[in-house]
Amino acid sequence: MTGALGELQIFALAVGVPGEPLHEITGTREAVFNHTRSDDHGRYRPLSGARTLPTGWSAPLGPGLSAEEAVEAVYPLALVHQRQFAEGTLRVVPLEDVLTRQSGRYEAGASLSESGRRLAVSTICGECVRKPVWADASCSHEEIPCPEACSVFVAFCREAAQWETGRPASAEPDATIAWAAFDQPGNELREHFLKEMDQPR
Amino acid sequence: MTTLVLVGHGSHLNANSSAPIHAHAGELRRRALFERVLTGFWKEEPSLARVLDGCDDPEVVVVPVFISNGYFTKTVIPREMRLDGPVTVRGEQRIRYTRPIGADASLASVIVERALEAGATADDAIAVLGHGTRRESESEKNVYAMAEQVRETGRFAEAGAIFLDQEPGMLDLLDVFQAATVVVVPLFIADGWHVGQTIPAELALDGAETRMGGRTVRYTPPVGTHRQVVDVIERLANGTQE
Repeated sequence: MTGALGELQIFALAVGVPGEPLHEITGTREAVFNHTRSDDHGRYRPLSGARTLPTGWSAPLGPGLSAEEAVEAVYPLALVHQRQFAEGTLRVVPLEDVLTRQSGRYEAGASLSESGRRLAVSTICGECVRKPVWADASCSHEEIPCPEACSVFVAFCREAAQWETGRPASAEPDATIAWAAFDQPGNELREHFLKEMDQPR
Repeated sequence: MTTLVLVGHGSHLNANSSAPIHAHAGELRRRALFERVLTGFWKEEPSLARVLDGCDDPEVVVVPVFISNGYFTKTVIPREMRLDGPVTVRGEQRIRYTRPIGADASLASVIVERALEAGATADDAIAVLGHGTRRESESEKNVYAMAEQVRETGRFAEAGAIFLDQEPGMLDLLDVFQAATVVVVPLFIADGWHVGQTIPAELALDGAETRMGGRTVRYTPPVGTHRQVVDVIERLANGTQE
């Protein structure tokens, strides 16, 4: 397999993400996984599909790393979901099912309004290379379908449901705050959501 | 051959949370005892809900890399993975769901190893430090059981359980144990937020060894990151639980 998948470039002899300076990492599944755990700012990437892959690296393909293994390390289950989507066998779970089955601290996410859920989709999924087919997003066979809202999305819904009942003050977006620290003022995704909440619809 | 699935908590904020599970999965792949070794997480990817997507292998065994047999092992994992109980039959596939590693008696030997690696002697006390919770009484059981197993080895002057979030609390460490040196072994999976930050901060630890009230407190890495945990996982996966 060659071409682009998400932010990943796949060539006959290597995989990686363009950028200068370009450096080579070890051609193993573990090395690719570990290298793509943080972004260019050193922030942990809890959402594999987030458009924050570190730039300027390549990993040689060979006996220690196949293209499929590299894709699995960067975007877990992407190839399985692509295949199942093409075959029409992908099990797609509606957001309502995901939110209503939660218990404990994440139960609150189910109370997020319809408009809040749509805004959460544009805020979180808009930052992800996977296409949320559970939210009726279009997805070509070259793209990665997302069959079910992920835990990051559920966690965001929990916070957003609280923001709907008592809107917190906005803060300046701060790129040094953890990507998924949605409860922290300045978190970029939180501030985006709060700003969009105020827009007339 | 069987597909082994290690399931863990993971984190949206701390990459270290899942690191031991990835490391143990890597070692198990090298041992080549299973057809495939997969990992699934509550808060990372692949998710618990989707980790078996595309897995058509007839025999699957799911091992929870958790200490307690509590909320996650009894509620979250079965719900997210759509498991019916210890055995789930889904078409041609049979999925066996084991107890968590913290429920297997062999984990006590890993606690002993951690203590010995920290220099524990027969005169010392071993404090098995668990998370605990005031909300779920089941959570403490494995911690007490492990402490008892360590005590029964007879290798140390004392051994007992203390907790981060219930009584007996870790701040009473020097009252609970009488030995001049107390070796605190965190019965946690990962070197994450609690083990790396909150516990050392609350106990005012200087590092691996701290003088406290005229006595010595040693603090070891967590049990879950020890390489011998792989053997515990393998035993559970093979159905040879202790």
